[in-house]
Amino acid sequence: MTTTHEVRVPGRVAEAEASLLQVRGLSVSYAPPRKAASLGTGAALADADLDVRLGEVVGIVGETGSGKTTLARATVGLVRPLAGSIEFAGEDVGALRGRALRAFRRSGQVQLVFQDPLRSLDPDLTVADLVREPLDIAGTLSRRDRAERVDESLRLVGLDPDAMRDRQPRELSGGQRQRVSIARAISTRPRLLFCDEPVSALDVSNRNLVLNLLDQLRRELGLAVVIIAHDLSSLAGIADRVAVFYRGRIVEQGPIHEVLERPAHPYTALLTASAPSVEPGAGQSARLRPEQLVPPAGSRPWPTDGVCVFAQRCPFAHDACTDQPALLPIQRAPGRLAACHVAASWRDRLGGHQAERESA
Amino acid sequence: MSSQPDHQPRRTLEVTDLQVSVGDHLVAVQDVSFTIGRGESVGLVGESGSGKTLTCRAVLGLLPATGHVDRGRIVLGDGADTVELTDAKRGTWDRVRGLRLGAVFQDPTSYLNPSLTVGHQLAEQLRVKRRLSRRDAHARSVELFAEVGLRDPAGVFHQYPHQLSGGMLQRVLIAIAVSCEPELLIADEATTALDVVIQAEILGLLRRLRETHQLSLLLVTHDLAVVAETCERILVMYGGQIVESGPTEEVLRSPRHPYTQALMGVATIGNWQRRKLDVIPGQPPAAGAEMPGCRFAPRCAYASARCVAGAVPLTDLGHERSARCVLVDDLSAPSVQEVSA
Amino acid sequence: MKTLKALWRIPSARLALLVLAAIAFLAVFGGALAPHDPLKQYTDEVLQGPSSAHWLGTDYVGRDVLSRLMAGTRLSVVGALEAVLIGALLGVPSGLVSAWLGPRLEWITLRISDTLVILPFTVFAIAVAGTLGNGLQQAMIAIGVLMSPIFYRVTRAAAIGLRRTQYVEAAELMGATEWWTLRKHIWSKVLPNVAVTAAQAMGAALLVVASLAFLGLGITPPAPTWGGMLSADLGYLSQQPWAPIFPALLMMATVGSLNLLADSMRDVTGATTAPRRRPRRTTARPEKQSREEQSDVVPA
Repeated sequence: MTTTHEVRVPGRVAEAEASLLQVRGLSVSYAPPRKAASLGTGAALADADLDVRLGEVVGIVGETGSGKTTLARATVGLVRPLAGSIEFAGEDVGALRGRALRAFRRSGQVQLVFQDPLRSLDPDLTVADLVREPLDIAGTLSRRDRAERVDESLRLVGLDPDAMRDRQPRELSGGQRQRVSIARAISTRPRLLFCDEPVSALDVSNRNLVLNLLDQLRRELGLAVVIIAHDLSSLAGIADRVAVFYRGRIVEQGPIHEVLERPAHPYTALLTASAPSVEPGAGQSARLRPEQLVPPAGSRPWPTDGVCVFAQRCPFAHDACTDQPALLPIQRAPGRLAACHVAASWRDRLGGHQAERESA
Repeated sequence: MSSQPDHQPRRTLEVTDLQVSVGDHLVAVQDVSFTIGRGESVGLVGESGSGKTLTCRAVLGLLPATGHVDRGRIVLGDGADTVELTDAKRGTWDRVRGLRLGAVFQDPTSYLNPSLTVGHQLAEQLRVKRRLSRRDAHARSVELFAEVGLRDPAGVFHQYPHQLSGGMLQRVLIAIAVSCEPELLIADEATTALDVVIQAEILGLLRRLRETHQLSLLLVTHDLAVVAETCERILVMYGGQIVESGPTEEVLRSPRHPYTQALMGVATIGNWQRRKLDVIPGQPPAAGAEMPGCRFAPRCAYASARCVAGAVPLTDLGHERSARCVLVDDLSAPSVQEVSA
Repeated sequence: MKTLKALWRIPSARLALLVLAAIAFLAVFGGALAPHDPLKQYTDEVLQGPSSAHWLGTDYVGRDVLSRLMAGTRLSVVGALEAVLIGALLGVPSGLVSAWLGPRLEWITLRISDTLVILPFTVFAIAVAGTLGNGLQQAMIAIGVLMSPIFYRVTRAAAIGLRRTQYVEAAELMGATEWWTLRKHIWSKVLPNVAVTAAQAMGAALLVVASLAFLGLGITPPAPTWGGMLSADLGYLSQQPWAPIFPALLMMATVGSLNLLADSMRDVTGATTAPRRRPRRTTARPEKQSREEQSDVVPA
């Protein structure tokens, strides 16, 4: 485990089959408000499972505070989980402590790209210092190799090393800053890259640039990439699979286009229906409308806790929903999972419901 | 109210030849003219630095300390109600802002006093601007809270801003903004910070309020898709200028300015099958950058020597459409299908 | 270096730096440059006004005031410097440690600093001088110890704010040791705060040294200090009402310059006595995360 393992060429079929990252039953709670209250959004995470394979881009969507950032932070070890296991390349990294944890981190195989590069890049350091820092900390490469690796990483993210090297973060544009933080993450040649809302602070023209860059890195370096986002359409352009979070739980998981085209969970349906669209009129008839997916006025009130997490906002909530449904495979849809008692049948009930609402 | 739709459509806001500069005479907005009719919704779209926020701040008289309106006229209302907002004095603004002009911004928390209940802040507005009694103001506040879709409006009245989520706060701000029945509501990136579900709800709310209050809406956003869903007319800004304007549906169906086309390529399009993420090469010009011709030319796929030879005027294309491009007649705009394919 | 250049651009800071440079010069060479022996008593010229021989006159035993002021600079300034150094050496490391290494150490250091804060400087110094013998060293050590909580608090406040910054977390994820993080990320941000505090503390220490000397503590009588001179001059106000002005002016100039410098440093480096500006969050509410939440970063 050094920082120098080779760049994997695409075509490692055997390896791609097995999960690189396997998260099982991960739960996090911030229940006792510690004095360091600035941790994440404070959302808890309940019983989350996630698999990521090499060369794959997995998207994670959900509203703010739904636990997606917590999942990333717990997986990389910034937050101690209450329960669950985190296996990386067959090794139980969740159990690592002290020296072993530090050694694993120095190997640089898992990297996290923070949401806001302005906050995650030390304002006093130069770009070269910043990108080199993980290498300096690991200390396995010679000074010259490190400098070369910095240049190479900067070039990989599309920045000119000569122009960038001595600048400070405040002298860069938003898109450049985000690319510097990606360059820092890939300088150790990681195998897994976690990106926490990598584009939500960027302008439209930079947004796709960074997403394309991640896609390209996935292909060139054989990386596994996890992208946390709240923008469905940017994920649609790049991710292979998607996990949808709602209030600390994964409510749906599966291949992205299938999930977005034909959501199995009412929340996913609400998400896709709410996404604004520029296509004038196109597909509007086929698509669900958000109004169809909110409970009608005067429907049964649901408690906040102890029932299905989505029951409060679900038009299909019924008696069975007093139990939180487990994330189960969907029939006749390989690779898809949903946590809903009526995953298979809510669409059929939409018709009557819709007519009801239209008359209103 | 007194609307007589068959007659001349009433005007709510008219901005003519607006030029705004910031700092040391950096011209950040130039040659901006548009009209918003009574009850009409207009979307102002552009990237950060395009001048869209300065434009709407100029209308609100809220330019930053270094900003200054160099030229142009801003007129609110029509006929007897006309108020000239160009170089308006404090007293004029006090009579206009809140009463005839409402505004909602991106970050609701910074527009609310954290130590007062949200209900108090709305009721105060009603008591000061509409001279309602304490009891009436309370009743009207609860009504407004219900109208903007807050559940348990009477309970929300007594809550402090920190007890409410971002989406709820934005509803509170909208309630405050429409409390005095303004003619024009300006929403500057009002949904940008919200997640999609809440964004859709807020946009729905704005649409509903337009109908119930005969409100004109100026929606300022960087997201083309938000405008597509909400506005009848669209103004695309780039580098401090309006580069294209027209009815939303037609502009999006056949954009006549290369920048609008490019924006559509990068925008959220709601087509989950799209597998390609387009990029607009290069960076937008810095505010106040001196450019002889078309400001988009350095990034434009169709750019030629003609584009940078001199200032490019906004060409009227008929059917309420105009575009600022030398190729506007030759450019057979690629259809949306082609862009999104 | 960059900071110094930026400081030089502020007129008040430039003035302060010039005054302080002059004081430093006097501290080093004052004794040697003095026109007269500061201890020599011109017995026939007691309590003289300014003259060509004695520019600032003579005191009650006929010593040259100018020479005593120049020679006294060293004792006064060095004493204060000593106190500040001791304060910083005790306060800064313990401040960093308390922010970094666990709640138990934090609790202990906090209680110690609280205890020290409630002790009044001068009274404590008198007590120490009474116990350990009347000498400048003892008094300055006492003052230094009492000043350490100021450094402790400032360092701690700055470091605690930095602890949860994302670049520190990022370094943690890279497998950095605490020492690395401290050296690479924390120190450069804590240092300006410490420098500002040091300038302020220096002013305070000068005053304390002067008041101790005024009370006849810390410095054995014939040796000249500003405070001692002030004290002696006050006894002869009826004969020479203007005499205390000279030592007082010198003290005011020095302390004032130090405060000016501290202010300008704060402006230049962006140091604050409170933690650095924390990222603005739109109220993350764990208990309220359910229905609607707002993203805390938005496209500009």
